[in-house]
Amino acid sequence: MDLSYLFYLSSGLFLGWSLGANDAANIFGTAVGSKMVRFSTIAAVACIFVIIGAVFGGSGTSKTLGALGSVNALAGAFMVALSAALAVYMMLRAGLTVSTSQAIVGAIVGWNVYADKPTDYTTLLEIIGTWTTCPLLAGIVAVVLYLCLKKLQKCSSMHLLMRDQITRFGLVITAAVGAYALGANNIANVVGVFMQSCPFKSLHLGNILTLDPYQVLFLLGAIAICTGVWTYSHKVIKTVGNSLMRMSPAVALIIVLSQSVVLLLFSSVSLHDWLEASSLPAIPLVPVSSTQAVIGAVIGIGLIKGGRGLNWSIIGKIVAGWITAPLMAMLICFICLFFLENVFNQTVFLP
Amino acid sequence: MFNLKLSIFSGTRELEDKIDEMHDQVIESVLAFQNAFEIYLEEKRSPKYRRVSKKIKHIEAKADDLRREIESRLYIHNLIPDLRADVLQMVENIDKVINEFDEVAHKFYIEQPDIPEKYRSKFCKLVKEVSACAENMAIASRAFFRDFTTVRDYSRKVYFLEQESDKTWAELKQEVFDSDMELAHKIQLNTLIGDVADIADKAEDCIDALLIFTIKRDI
Repeated sequence: MDLSYLFYLSSGLFLGWSLGANDAANIFGTAVGSKMVRFSTIAAVACIFVIIGAVFGGSGTSKTLGALGSVNALAGAFMVALSAALAVYMMLRAGLTVSTSQAIVGAIVGWNVYADKPTDYTTLLEIIGTWTTCPLLAGIVAVVLYLCLKKLQKCSSMHLLMRDQITRFGLVITAAVGAYALGANNIANVVGVFMQSCPFKSLHLGNILTLDPYQVLFLLGAIAICTGVWTYSHKVIKTVGNSLMRMSPAVALIIVLSQSVVLLLFSSVSLHDWLEASSLPAIPLVPVSSTQAVIGAVIGIGLIKGGRGLNWSIIGKIVAGWITAPLMAMLICFICLFFLENVFNQTVFLP
Repeated sequence: MFNLKLSIFSGTRELEDKIDEMHDQVIESVLAFQNAFEIYLEEKRSPKYRRVSKKIKHIEAKADDLRREIESRLYIHNLIPDLRADVLQMVENIDKVINEFDEVAHKFYIEQPDIPEKYRSKFCKLVKEVSACAENMAIASRAFFRDFTTVRDYSRKVYFLEQESDKTWAELKQEVFDSDMELAHKIQLNTLIGDVADIADKAEDCIDALLIFTIKRDI
């Protein structure tokens, strides 16, 4: 394997790191912030499930991202991932949690424009459509779960302490599901653009398991996400915390669960195939933003509670970031591709 | 390597029992106090009164131990982090009510006030009202851990009984000062009546905090 591949892949790994740092806060931020679960415990659980999700469930969304723009040169893929990572990093520096999904889509479109390749508008519209449906769906799921839990709370006479312990247990379980969904859905953002030029060979782990070349690539991406979770997510959790809305551990549980459900819906190949086989409208296999799902869920619950607890100014800023992030990534990608091609003499696309 | 806390339900049941026991102490102190007062009216500072007064002291000491144990367990097992401060305050408030029963019973033992016959029925009424107030407070507080509706129902009762005890206290106070007793005797009785009525005030304070905790607990 050419070592230069690893160098080019580093931008994807950097994006993976920032995704881990940013999105882990969505999965278990409130659990750690409310001191319900220890960071080390939940981070370990999350890392294991991110890897499992990415390696075994990451193929569906990667194909969709590949259909948007087939980044066919390694240097081009490097710049696409780097621009997305830079856009995410800049937004994080500005104090906004953003979506790596949107940044990578913006960067791919930037590459398409630079390389004068046609953008698959059907796929693009499908992806942009999920930027609305994802938070909406998460909001609906959260409201339904919230109402069910409220009903359950009225009927049950379980002791407060026992309820607390069950919530704690639930937070760990949902973090595991959320981490699996994040790995399966978002690995395409991290290393999807490198799939065209993947040089890895199949990896045999004893006689039990064989990873195909793409799965090896996904594994590397997942390890980068885990590094982000371990090294930086604690800081993001401390900063972001309960800024959107003050929430109880039970509400935190609902939000993580809704986000996991939505992410799973958008990445489950078997569900997609089953819906198609049953002649039902299939949910597109698209990398969606866990940040958007979380915000959709928080707004859903906030509204059902009367909307008083919501911090609308922060929500407004975050939503504005959803438009800014892909545009910024597109612009950075376009400019940097120009420099990479003309100053550093790299092939950024193949005709 | 990581403390996965697999034994997640360990300690919870024991703590539930301790909290229940704390509430039992309120009920026991209510019953013991009523008993002590009846004995005092009949026998004043008799050995029997001394025994019941000691019993209240014993209940109070046990409640203190329970309070400390609940506090430390909540922190050691890192339980209900979002409501821990509220539960601790609640337990402390309950403990204050029990302390008040003990202090008043002890004051009767030390001061041996002479309660004239004509004030006895109203004094008994006051004791019954404050006792009922504390008892309903304990029920509401116990319900906080399981059922919101019960908290609200019993809180209403506590507020009502506290108002009734305030009326009885005001009437009794007026009657005492309108009487021909020595000023020192009047002041002594007035202080004691005030101390008894304070028990209901402490119970009401408990309920005020409890209702706020209930709103906070709602998901």
